[in-house]
Amino acid sequence: MAIKFNRVDFKYQGFDNKGYLALSNINVSINAEGEFITLIGETGSGKTTLVQHMNALLTPTSGNVTIFGLKIDQENIKKKKFRLNPIRQKVGLVFQFPEYQLFEETVLKDIMFGPKNYGVDEATARERAIKMIKVVGLDESYLDRSPFNLSGGEKKRVSIAGILAMEPDILILDEPTSGLDPLGRDALLRVFNDIHQKLNKTIIVITHDMNTVYEYAKRVLVMRDSYLVYDGDPHTLFSKKNIENWNLDIPDIINLLHHLEKDFNITFPKQPQNVDELLTMIEEVAK
Amino acid sequence: MNIIEIENLSFYYQADKPVLKDINLTIKKGEWLTILGHNGSGKSTLAKLLIGLLRAKSGTIRIDNEELNQNTVQSIRRKIGIVFQNPDNQFVGVTVRDDIAFGLENLSIPREEMIERIETYAQKVSMSEFLNKEPHALSGGQKQRVAIAGILAMHTDIIIFDESTSMLDPKGRRMILDYMKTLNDEGVTIITITHDMKEAVLSDRILVLKNGEVLKMDTAANVLKDKITLEKSNLELLLPLKVINRLEEKNIKNEELRSYLWQLSLTG
Ligand SMILES: Nc1ncnc2c1ncn2[C@@H]1O[C@H](COP(=O)(O)OP(=O)(O)O)[C@@H](O)[C@H]1O
Ligand SMILES: Nc1ncnc2c1ncn2[C@@H]1O[C@H](COP(=O)(O)OP(=O)(O)O)[C@@H](O)[C@H]1O
Ligand SMILES: [Mg+2]
Ligand SMILES: [Mg+2]
Repeated sequence: MAIKFNRVDFKYQGFDNKGYLALSNINVSINAEGEFITLIGETGSGKTTLVQHMNALLTPTSGNVTIFGLKIDQENIKKKKFRLNPIRQKVGLVFQFPEYQLFEETVLKDIMFGPKNYGVDEATARERAIKMIKVVGLDESYLDRSPFNLSGGEKKRVSIAGILAMEPDILILDEPTSGLDPLGRDALLRVFNDIHQKLNKTIIVITHDMNTVYEYAKRVLVMRDSYLVYDGDPHTLFSKKNIENWNLDIPDIINLLHHLEKDFNITFPKQPQNVDELLTMIEEVAK
Repeated sequence: MNIIEIENLSFYYQADKPVLKDINLTIKKGEWLTILGHNGSGKSTLAKLLIGLLRAKSGTIRIDNEELNQNTVQSIRRKIGIVFQNPDNQFVGVTVRDDIAFGLENLSIPREEMIERIETYAQKVSMSEFLNKEPHALSGGQKQRVAIAGILAMHTDIIIFDESTSMLDPKGRRMILDYMKTLNDEGVTIITITHDMKEAVLSDRILVLKNGEVLKMDTAANVLKDKITLEKSNLELLLPLKVINRLEEKNIKNEELRSYLWQLSLTG
């Protein structure tokens, strides 16, 4: 078990001193290998807060999180018992807003920062930057540009390249595809999926896109009002009645299937996994 | 009547890299226009030119019959509002309330009306209980909602939404889209920048940009089914239209299914 939450509560200390409970009694475990998890839930439900606990950017108000063997709780923090650097390298987190992550003069320096910070030598860091800029769909000419003079989608890609260059064991992406065009979105999701499949790494993606959940996730976590209300596979999730109560959309594939079943009175033999399967199934019945 | 007229508009950040090339475009009062285009095609740049945040290198922009220039930019900003792609760029206040108030202060709206508008629009975007919070202590989607409330409260004739629903959950997104529709019915001219075809189909016309040039400008229905244009712009057909295409490829004629799928895509 790479990451384990044990009865975690988290309260933000607002300046009104009331505080704001963003996580309530979270218990969840994440494996170091082989997981593709999507984390979904309404705006403000606690998704970002939850993943920021996974690399100790935030620490529990009560309860504890164990990350690669380091137990993080209030007591240990007071004693300053640990170094967080190794955790941050093992658990790479791409922020929701790329602006929080980009700060160097050039894209090259920005991407090299992470690996260098975790002990990778200059030449290797440069090599990785050159590789990763292409992996995220930009060409090498971007390396000399200032990260601030980029379009929203380009900034997003650069921030992702920076974390990929650290080669973390667990890769967490906070809404990585919002603001990307569909082709760019699919290409990036395939990159994450490749990393997952070829290197058997664990990927966690926060998203509002149910098609991403349906087509990529092996496991889905649903946050609602600071609680983790679902931890299971996507198919069970989307067949659940209470889906609307959670304000989840259904994936396009299932939506279309339901329409056709209802209005044409046909039943499809099984739930298609992807668009191609769906097209083939419809082709069969339309003949 | 045209509320926006753009003639031979060109722009670059660095002289050797044109970002917008000779754009010509008119938008009618009360129209809902969607701007589509691949990442980096120039959508946000065009939006920033329209509100006078950037200055054209050549060409003219007329808003409500007034040419946009240094002298008119202040008065034009009362007519056109924008919700930025990244809501963080929009926050200036200490609290959410201050933030919504900021735009209104610039319009010299009486205090009482200001208070009323703040409450009204915070409620419209379901952010009433957050009015005393610091904007930076909000989640990404909550920031987007506040940014939207701030612009709505200004009652401008034209509103540009630059990917303003990208971080909202499906319910929040539907709520904002419904509200855009209401505004548009009331006569507000709406420009939405998006990658989501389900959103684009709600509008009257669609402008497609590619590498800073107009690739296509047509009714939403016509752009929706134009596979080639969409592919050139890194966009994809709505799922029901993908099915129609597949049936055509395989030479399967099923008129009933075809028209059903077409209707389905028009409703988003
Ligand atoms: N720095 C902060 N101070 C106070 N409250 C915060 C802070 N950051 C987030 N919150 C609140 O905590 C809740 C959860 O936020 P977040 O985890 O960002 O939500 P999500 O990512 O699911 O949209 C929200 O209601 C938000 O307003
Ligand atoms: N401040 C800037 N300085 C230099 N180039 C920029 C700046 N902002 C954007 N660009 C470039 O201009 C092009 C268009 O950007 P933008 O209008 O933001 O695209 P879109 O909104 O369509 O994704 C991109 O290639 C981007 O790299
Ligand atoms: Mg978030
Ligand atoms: Mg943009």
